[in-house]
Amino acid sequence: MTPENLLVRPRPTQKCTTGCPVLDRCLGGGIPCRSVTEVVGESGCGKTQLCLQLLLSAQLPPSRGGLSASSLYLHSEFPLPLRRLHQLSRARPFGPGHDPLEGIFVHPLQSVDHLLDVMPKVESFVENFKSQFPVRLIVIDSIAALFRSEFDNNPLDLRRRSSMFFKISGKLKLLAEKFDLAVVVTNQVVDLVAPNEGINGLRIGNLGCLVSSGRRVCAALGLAWANCVNLRLFLSRDKEIVSTMNGVGDECGCEPMHCRTRRRLHLLFAPHIPDTSCEYVITREGFSGVCR
Amino acid sequence: MEVGRLPISAALKGKLVSAGYTSLSLLSSLSPSHLARDLNISENEALDILKHAPLDGRIDTSSGHHVINGAQTAWDMLHEEELLTRITTSSVDIDNILGGGISCREVTEIGGVPGIGKTQLGIQLAVNVQLPVHCGGLGGKAIYIDTEGSFMVERVLQIAEACRDDMSANNALSQNVHAGQVGMQPKDFLENILYFRVCSYAEQIALINYLDKFMSEHKDVKIIIIDSITFHFRQDFEDMALRTRLLSGMALKLMKLAKKFCLAVVLLNQVTTKFAEGSFQLTLALGDSWSHACTNRIILYWNGNERYAYIDKSPSLRSASAPYAVTARGIRNNVSNCKRIKLM
Repeated sequence: MTPENLLVRPRPTQKCTTGCPVLDRCLGGGIPCRSVTEVVGESGCGKTQLCLQLLLSAQLPPSRGGLSASSLYLHSEFPLPLRRLHQLSRARPFGPGHDPLEGIFVHPLQSVDHLLDVMPKVESFVENFKSQFPVRLIVIDSIAALFRSEFDNNPLDLRRRSSMFFKISGKLKLLAEKFDLAVVVTNQVVDLVAPNEGINGLRIGNLGCLVSSGRRVCAALGLAWANCVNLRLFLSRDKEIVSTMNGVGDECGCEPMHCRTRRRLHLLFAPHIPDTSCEYVITREGFSGVCR
Repeated sequence: MEVGRLPISAALKGKLVSAGYTSLSLLSSLSPSHLARDLNISENEALDILKHAPLDGRIDTSSGHHVINGAQTAWDMLHEEELLTRITTSSVDIDNILGGGISCREVTEIGGVPGIGKTQLGIQLAVNVQLPVHCGGLGGKAIYIDTEGSFMVERVLQIAEACRDDMSANNALSQNVHAGQVGMQPKDFLENILYFRVCSYAEQIALINYLDKFMSEHKDVKIIIIDSITFHFRQDFEDMALRTRLLSGMALKLMKLAKKFCLAVVLLNQVTTKFAEGSFQLTLALGDSWSHACTNRIILYWNGNERYAYIDKSPSLRSASAPYAVTARGIRNNVSNCKRIKLM
């Protein structure tokens, strides 16, 4: 490495389609390469669904928004959602003779140290995997699960945890830059306790207040981890009570109501996209944005 | 310039050296009576010495003042400062609290939470430095050192396009277009940003050491932006003393570059929390010792739904804050604030 080699010509960023044109429009084309994208949301909001969908859409050719690439799925939560992956792949038209599951490599993660041990193996795998579909997407689902159990709440552990964030993020960004990969990481939410106003407030991103399932939340792993990602998406879920609007009352004259889940994807911060959000639904075919 | 070379007697030379006047430059602004008292000699002998000393030891400035080798009078410095123009941030409110914009020969640190607009401001400055002086730039190139991977070409082109549109609108109004002058296009702006991608702290240190040589080959660079200075240093260093040494070495080199090549150095920093006065406060990363590395320090923060810039530290600017907005066209004034001022 000589310093002269660090001078590079900035190239336009390739994007990987999410599989849905509405979402792609919201994200300025899709998930960017050479960046770490974080998807934050509570359990059940669809983070893993979005990840599985990306593992498949990365295999599409660039003419259809994909990367013509294989992907690596590092998962810390078990069991692996194989059945759902099968279901999603059947809903997508890949060419004959192309088995999309051949293009997805899976590795379990037990702990933070395990992740750090696995990184050099990941690097040599990506470097040496010669095929028509080189690895261009790495998904870590989820980073929060790795950290939640190992560190206590005292200042020393928190500081140690913080430096782990930068170490992991540094390695992920190095891989992303070196091999032109897209890296996607999922994270959980925790209830928000601190105030987030003023010069000492902890507001991070375009939304002053993140709400999911009627509670004020914020992304897990704190401010330090927020400094480690390039792009942050927030998936929220709320119950909405809707009347069935057929004008027919029941015995006591009340209109029948039912609960509907409204899901929304918000862009919290990104270096190239302004504040946007869009509604989405999760169906048998997958995760798709809704134009309203 | 040795005292030994003066055509005076050995005894006088001996007295000079034992009084501490080992070099001629030290004699250059002395009066004869002062020297006579110091050496315990007659005023005539002192005059004799000084007659020879100034001719060898005086460094004449253009104004004819006696100056010690390497120093400058404050008057000269003031003149130099007035000649220095500043780089606009494209937000009039921020330019105002900065006394006109980001100044050269200084290291300015800008810090804030993720998503507040640090990279946006960095890119805006990298584009603005290329503008001609009458538009708020310095007509120079920019060095952009990216340690986090936040530099997106499409965003730079978007900001450059808006800059070009503003410039041609300006030129149309003032009829300032010279015959045959071709305006800069967005891709020209991108060409003038020398982009370095750094992936480890070793690369970062090596690059900053290399910049002196690079700058002597690229004298048209007028701003160095490092986005962010912190990222690679927040990992665990087994030897924290090493980290402190590396950081202070880096700070010193950047300060020297700013002064030597007369350019602006802008360092983007992250924030972290520290426990002070019974509560958690936000503070810029890299610790207290790093806070001496920069000349000026600006903190970007949220106030309700608006973004603000606050001068936290500066030797010459008052502490003040100004609102700003990040728009599709780049950093601009916060429009809602303008409306309020007009009503008043």
